[in-house]
Amino acid sequence: MEVRHLEVEVRTEANIAVLDMKGEINGFAEEAMNAAYAEAEAGDPGTILLNFERVDYINSTGIALIVGLLARARAARRSLLACNLSEHYVEIFNITRLSDFMSVFPDEKTAVGEAMES
Amino acid sequence: MTDPKPARAGADLGRTLADFSVPSEPGNERLAMQTVAATASRLGVDGQDLERLKTAVGETTMNAMEHGNGYGSGVPVEIQVLVSHGDLLVRITDEGSGPPPREDGDEPDLEAKLEGMQKARGWGLFLIKSMVDEIEITGDEGHHTVELLVHLETEGGK
Repeated sequence: MEVRHLEVEVRTEANIAVLDMKGEINGFAEEAMNAAYAEAEAGDPGTILLNFERVDYINSTGIALIVGLLARARAARRSLLACNLSEHYVEIFNITRLSDFMSVFPDEKTAVGEAMES
Repeated sequence: MTDPKPARAGADLGRTLADFSVPSEPGNERLAMQTVAATASRLGVDGQDLERLKTAVGETTMNAMEHGNGYGSGVPVEIQVLVSHGDLLVRITDEGSGPPPREDGDEPDLEAKLEGMQKARGWGLFLIKSMVDEIEITGDEGHHTVELLVHLETEGGK
């Protein structure tokens, strides 16, 4: 079956780097995610926001990649946030406890507002 | 993927609704997810219950392809969907040898993973168990089988 490889674009909103992800977060996504994260880190933002609006599939390998990004954020004392997760993946973030370590927001506007107030 | 075989009356465990296989190649868990979801939706499984079932099937199929079949594209993962006594059963079989994985394997510890004390992977079995009502893992010399059970009478899933 043809896999929809992950595409990630990085943009900046104030001191927040936003990673707009599109496609599937699975074992094939590692290079794209790490490259985008490195690009985001280069600007030394206080917060990095993962936008899942156009992500249609996350498997356990994808969860491991997100865990890796979270570890990097924590090591650099950066906040890592998530927005636009579907209800199902909000549940997965909860049961894996990812949501204990990275705040999950319903949309980008709410996430950015919260980050700017922090 | 082999075309799903027509439903047949099972003499042992209810009615088989789908019986198919997928080659053990990364990404093919999506085929398994789609086919099982299409079958389950005809039984009224929908919404979040359907998403949970899809995740469980996807993760189980991935484990079968990777750990059971070593991602050998010529080695298929066999999948059956059955309904019996108000339960939906999904049976996923690989050609792994040796002891099957334990159902009560160690739970992933996110804090340990963040501290680098556990590898970042290892979420599959945990997700599977979280997404369905029951799971049973069996094995013999040439196969491992994981059976996922969803109670349909209680609107399926957790």
